Amino acid sequence: MKFKLTISFIFGLVGLLIFTFFAALIAVIDYRVTSKLEGVLWTVPAKIYSRPLELAEGVNINSNNLIKELKMLSYKVERDPDSPGEFNFSQNTLNIFLRGYLDQKPGLFRVTFDDSKINNIKNQLGLSEDLIKLEPTVIGGMYPVHMEDRVLLNWPEVPQKLLETILAVEDQNFFNHYGVSLKSISRAFLKNIQAGEVEQGGSTITQQLAKSLFFSSEQTIRRKVMEAIASLLIEFHYSKEEILLAYINDVFLAQSGRRAIHGFGMGAQHFFGTSVNNLSIDQIALLVGMLKGPSLYNPERNPNNATKRRNLVLSILNKSNKISDSEFEDLRLRELGITPPNYRAEIKYPAFHDIVRLELQKNFADKDLRTKGLSIETNLDPVLQNSLENSLAKTKDQLIKKYGDKLNDLEGAAIAVDISNGEIKAAAGSTKPNSYGFNRAINAIRPIGSLVKPFIYLTALNNYDEYNLSTILDDSKLSLVSGGKVWEPDNFDKKFHGQVPLHVALWQSYNIASARLGIELGFEAVQGMFSDLGIEKEVPVYPSIFIGSFELSPLEAIQAYQTIAGDGFYTPLRSIRQIKDTKGEIELSYPYSIEQRIRPEPIALIKFAMQQSFVRGTARGYSKKQIDLWNAGGKTGTSDDQRDSWFVGFAGDILVLVWLGFDDNRQTPLTGRTGAFQVWKNFIDEIKPVTAPSTSLPRIQYVWTDLEDGLKSGEKCKNSLLVPFIKGTEPTLVPESRKRCSGRGKISESSVIDKLKQIFEGGQS
Amino acid sequence: MKYLLKVVAILSLFFVFACSSTDNGRNISDFTIPVNNFSKTVELLISNENFLEDEILKINSQNPSVQRIIKSADDYLKQKNYIAANSELERAFRITKMDGALYLRLAHLRYKQGLLKESESFAYKGLLLPDISSWERLLLNVYLKN
Repeated sequence: MKFKLTISFIFGLVGLLIFTFFAALIAVIDYRVTSKLEGVLWTVPAKIYSRPLELAEGVNINSNNLIKELKMLSYKVERDPDSPGEFNFSQNTLNIFLRGYLDQKPGLFRVTFDDSKINNIKNQLGLSEDLIKLEPTVIGGMYPVHMEDRVLLNWPEVPQKLLETILAVEDQNFFNHYGVSLKSISRAFLKNIQAGEVEQGGSTITQQLAKSLFFSSEQTIRRKVMEAIASLLIEFHYSKEEILLAYINDVFLAQSGRRAIHGFGMGAQHFFGTSVNNLSIDQIALLVGMLKGPSLYNPERNPNNATKRRNLVLSILNKSNKISDSEFEDLRLRELGITPPNYRAEIKYPAFHDIVRLELQKNFADKDLRTKGLSIETNLDPVLQNSLENSLAKTKDQLIKKYGDKLNDLEGAAIAVDISNGEIKAAAGSTKPNSYGFNRAINAIRPIGSLVKPFIYLTALNNYDEYNLSTILDDSKLSLVSGGKVWEPDNFDKKFHGQVPLHVALWQSYNIASARLGIELGFEAVQGMFSDLGIEKEVPVYPSIFIGSFELSPLEAIQAYQTIAGDGFYTPLRSIRQIKDTKGEIELSYPYSIEQRIRPEPIALIKFAMQQSFVRGTARGYSKKQIDLWNAGGKTGTSDDQRDSWFVGFAGDILVLVWLGFDDNRQTPLTGRTGAFQVWKNFIDEIKPVTAPSTSLPRIQYVWTDLEDGLKSGEKCKNSLLVPFIKGTEPTLVPESRKRCSGRGKISESSVIDKLKQIFEGGQS
Repeated sequence: MKYLLKVVAILSLFFVFACSSTDNGRNISDFTIPVNNFSKTVELLISNENFLEDEILKINSQNPSVQRIIKSADDYLKQKNYIAANSELERAFRITKMDGALYLRLAHLRYKQGLLKESESFAYKGLLLPDISSWERLLLNVYLKN
């Protein structure tokens, strides 16, 4: 059969091909329209926030730290704060114009202090407020591959003024066209000719959305046709409100490092550090004005262009009677008022961020973190974090000055936690602030040196019917065979100290006494204590672990010390408070959890011995008054050949652990005191913690004892110290030589009743 | 007669000292607060969970800021929204860490959540506070019995 080509057949065939081509093109564009508008546009990266600081009546707060935090949040000092983001602090009074955050409305507040305590808070009407909340700082995000960052707005969250401004400037006829408007194009053309500059674009909002969603910025007919088809399809699929909302959430506003700032929600946060509903009209005008050329009108890079463009937008609003003449005159003279860049870095505090990320990965898939718009509220205190990083860097500089360039690549890690609830407040993983890479806070697993000793001594003190702080330990030469080798531990001063009371052996950090005590207690008992303290690793069965060959990371070590500082209540350390979804509902919380593992009385004894490190031991240097006020205590640690310098200490409500050393494990000239303790000291001196909460332990009583023989002594006797004991375990024997001086000794239970009671019970005073 | 007066005086003094403390100062094995010392009537009353909750919710903080947060936590507790109640109590806890009203609520909340060991630990920690009333002490002791 012969196939005959007729003209009509050819036309038909061509027509069919064209139809198929256009049908396929429309299908492809349609697919892209729907998948983008229902997919990628609504993917929002998880945001990680510091804790929001709440100021409440009766709260103890260091006002210097508060001012530092305000400056970190880019609040500006003004004599009379009258705009969001301004404050003034003088004569114990803080006047602050809050930007507003979640349920905290923006406005002017007056906070008065009584020393470090907040006395009262009043709003601008003079009415008392119970508490006010500062906005947190964003410390990072979990960004998708395309790095688009946005804060998704729902329809009720979009301010009316923003809608009016967008419509007035970008598309006055928006509600009356089907995606493409010839009327808009011709009107824009005429207006621009009249104005002598480009006031309005011809593209409708739908076209702009289509353009931003799919196509490059090249000006070709092909692109224009595809844009028009996409616009019609968008109008076909979605309502006007949905299109406008997609536009508000999607428009590109700026590039910040690798991060692309999309949408007005993110734009408000990025440029003004607040949410969109707190924006003033001039701020809205600036953001809307930027749509025409995000780079050209970027207020940071081109402030003059941005001001000019903003004022043009304001004049459009004025001409369309959205603002009055006087408002226009006032607004156009305002400064741009953008927040400085430190408020909007991509990722701050990498070591803390790392801890958060590891925690998140236990509960969330990576994809969910990058797309579901989760809001992660952490426990990070930005002031403590900055101080911790600075203290590490500052101390390293001081040590280089002292020991020379050989410490140039000294590394370190430090973690600060709230003793009362286990919240991780700050973490640094390097001596170089904001350094990415190896996070030593969680990954440097090193011998903890004498940091192990309080664990061994606590094992003994927990066995309170056999040990107390005055129990005599043997610090004489020890020689034993371990693993086929003779093991002979040394003290740091290469001396033997003979018979010493337990508490003295601890704060003097005697190795041999500690090793003998560990051996006496047995591996099983020590392992039990390690696990009670929260150390999950098994204790290796060799005696050198009793003097610190045991390896832990800084995070593992501080977890164990948290149990000690927290009075024997094990509290899992937490970097995250809670995670909320885009609607503000709690998706997952990390509640404060405690478990009483060790009785508070033996803990009180070990804390006393750790306090002696400050009074007369390896951490001396503070006044007794200061130590008592903070209820401070600590322990230095130095590993073999001084490869690791450790210090852990509690002061007020803060527990801080510091490690210093080299990544390649070579020897340092540092001990725990000369290295890590200096970081701790620099940090604590800067943040000045508030007074420690106290506990009531009626079964603890203080008795004067002798520092050498541990027996009962008196206040007037030489070499005596007031030492705590669990009632019933205190020494009662007074040597003949001290009977006289101890007879007049003042005891802690100094009430008349107690004295009489002792007489009646026949006890010795 | 003089001799009798002396005996009475000495006995009275012994009585005063005996009342001043129930602790003989030598018993180191017993660290728990003696719950059984409370009157049986009170024990019976607090064994009623609703009564117990009512009593706990009556105890408030001295701090007005904390009072406001506690009120919100109590509302969540009544709605059985334990996660939100906990979140509010932790907020309050960050303002004041020495408030018996908070430890009581945390102990009660954990009890309601079925976390009995934690409930007991919060109660025990609350009992370490220096300034709590005897009624708070009594209620905290209830959770030590879980």
